[in-house]
Amino acid sequence: MSWRLRFGLFIFIAFFSLITVRLFYWQVVRAEELSSIGEAQYKKRVIQTVERGEIKTSDNFPIVANRFTYLLFVNPKEIENKQDLSEILSPILEMEEASISARILADRFWVPIKSQVDSKTKEDIERLDLAGVGFERQIKRFYPEASMSAKLLGFVGKDEDGADKGYFGLEGHYDRQLRGKGGEAVIINDAQGRPILSKLEDNSGAVDGRDLVLHIDRAIQYMLDSTLKDGVERYGAEGGMAAIMNPKTGAMIAMSSFPSYDPAKYEEYSDKLYRDPFISDTYEPGSTFKPLVVASAIDAGVIEASTRCPICAGPITIGEYDIRTWNNKYRANATMNEVIVHSDNTGMVYVGRSLGLDRMISYLGKFGIGSLTGIDLQGEVVPSVREKGSWYPIDLATASFGQGITVTPIELLTAFSAIANSGKRMEPHVVSKIITPEGEVIEIVPKVINRPISDRAAKIVTEMMVNAVDEGEAKFAKPKGYRIAGKTGTAQIPVAGHYDPNQTIASFIGFAPADDPKFLMLVVIDRPTSSIYGAETAAPIFFEMATNLLNYYGIAPNE
Amino acid sequence: MKRPKLLIGFMLAVIMALSVVRIGIENSISTTGIELVRLQGELDEYKKENYQLEEKYLAESSLTEIASKAATLGFVDAKKTVYLSTPLPLALKQ
Repeated sequence: MSWRLRFGLFIFIAFFSLITVRLFYWQVVRAEELSSIGEAQYKKRVIQTVERGEIKTSDNFPIVANRFTYLLFVNPKEIENKQDLSEILSPILEMEEASISARILADRFWVPIKSQVDSKTKEDIERLDLAGVGFERQIKRFYPEASMSAKLLGFVGKDEDGADKGYFGLEGHYDRQLRGKGGEAVIINDAQGRPILSKLEDNSGAVDGRDLVLHIDRAIQYMLDSTLKDGVERYGAEGGMAAIMNPKTGAMIAMSSFPSYDPAKYEEYSDKLYRDPFISDTYEPGSTFKPLVVASAIDAGVIEASTRCPICAGPITIGEYDIRTWNNKYRANATMNEVIVHSDNTGMVYVGRSLGLDRMISYLGKFGIGSLTGIDLQGEVVPSVREKGSWYPIDLATASFGQGITVTPIELLTAFSAIANSGKRMEPHVVSKIITPEGEVIEIVPKVINRPISDRAAKIVTEMMVNAVDEGEAKFAKPKGYRIAGKTGTAQIPVAGHYDPNQTIASFIGFAPADDPKFLMLVVIDRPTSSIYGAETAAPIFFEMATNLLNYYGIAPNE
Repeated sequence: MKRPKLLIGFMLAVIMALSVVRIGIENSISTTGIELVRLQGELDEYKKENYQLEEKYLAESSLTEIASKAATLGFVDAKKTVYLSTPLPLALKQ
């Protein structure tokens, strides 16, 4: 072989080796990096916004729906005059010029300026044909009934990653059902940046959120909202709350509380207003607790409606405390029926003593006092019942008439469902069914939690409560011709180790028609000023609403 | 040697035919990207319109709005409800 041939071969091998090394470098050493750079040139990742599920009332009306809004963003590298752009956008977006300017000056390709921009503003800006300004579609919650049942619904805010997240009420409890599953789709573009249909990859598995259908009756909710709001204003109260349940199923028909907030603008309100006090606030129930204790004693067989109270002739002294009636009037040998009708504290001390501490604690547990009710709303709390060893005789006495023991309103309402429902206590539920995007309907069936008292005990206490309405302090407000079972409550508020004599929580709980209840309702008024008594504040609101309900359900008077 | 020639000829013909088919398919899908963009835009527009109409419909049919309009028109709450009592059943003579 001549040297020329050898030289040629050497050059050939050298170049071949160089190419091999270079290819190895590209295809092995930097393979991943170059591959992603290449993909970035023809692949486009698109965030797939999924639609959050709607929340509908029992008539299928979306009380929470969705609306299109836009995120306005800019590409600072495409903007010629940043100062001019800030001046133009500032009045349209109702933002400080300096705030826009500071964002535009960022050395980035994509800078968000304002989210939740409505369609009209978007069209106004698009007409200006501004370079470097773009929009990204967003979905925002829309409340057709404005702030109706705001605390029940909760609101949608952001989580730590900036994604939508439900907080409080239904939005919080059912967040995973409502939010669906977001995803990314990859579109492969041609040289001009147009997507190629055959190469569209859509394997992100994005799924829209599920809809919730509630037991909430929109008409009743509207009536309750307006009746309660008027009542709170009329009686100069700091606030108020009420809820209506179907005691036979546990279905929550309406829930309302004031003061409230607008869930569409939740950030403008104090976070103290976000909680639903009906499930999150605790209070001493006062006399509304008496029917539960009497029902327990009847069920235990220690008293009957006709049993007479041997210690009701005057105040009862326990240690350093005197137990008195609310009006300081005493009825010697009052029957248990009279004890409930006249809301006699001394009579309740007798009932408490007859029942005894062990049975009292056992029945409180059976009525769900000290346990979560399981209502499908985020934010339910449960005040604990004191340990058995820390009960003193005065505690048993005061607990028998609803002082010195705390409950949440939902706890009390659920406990009373046992009296209204032949002894069966129902689990409260706001949602009746969940509907998947494919149309599958998941029914939530009524659930009996337990049976704390017998049917007989429930009937006797119901009759006592009917008498309490017909002959008690609130009889003036009762609609004529109906049998309504109810009980007033006026609980003093513990302040720094004693009870404030001028501030009360006034309440009324009851159900109608008494013999075949269609609804069970609790009204709680916080610190009314026109009168401190439940009979003069909460009871009129209860009966006004009860009249509306009886008319709404078309129930004719039968007395 | 006749058979290999035939085979080569056949294979070339198949290659040519497949090439023609490929050109045809590529030609037909080359415009689908543009069509996709147009359809996507149209879909977005319909979705937007649908949302806007739904929003308007829900706002107009809300009880809050109906109650407000009813009050403007002079409607007032019913103060009293009248129930027509039905006669009690009488025992039939045997």
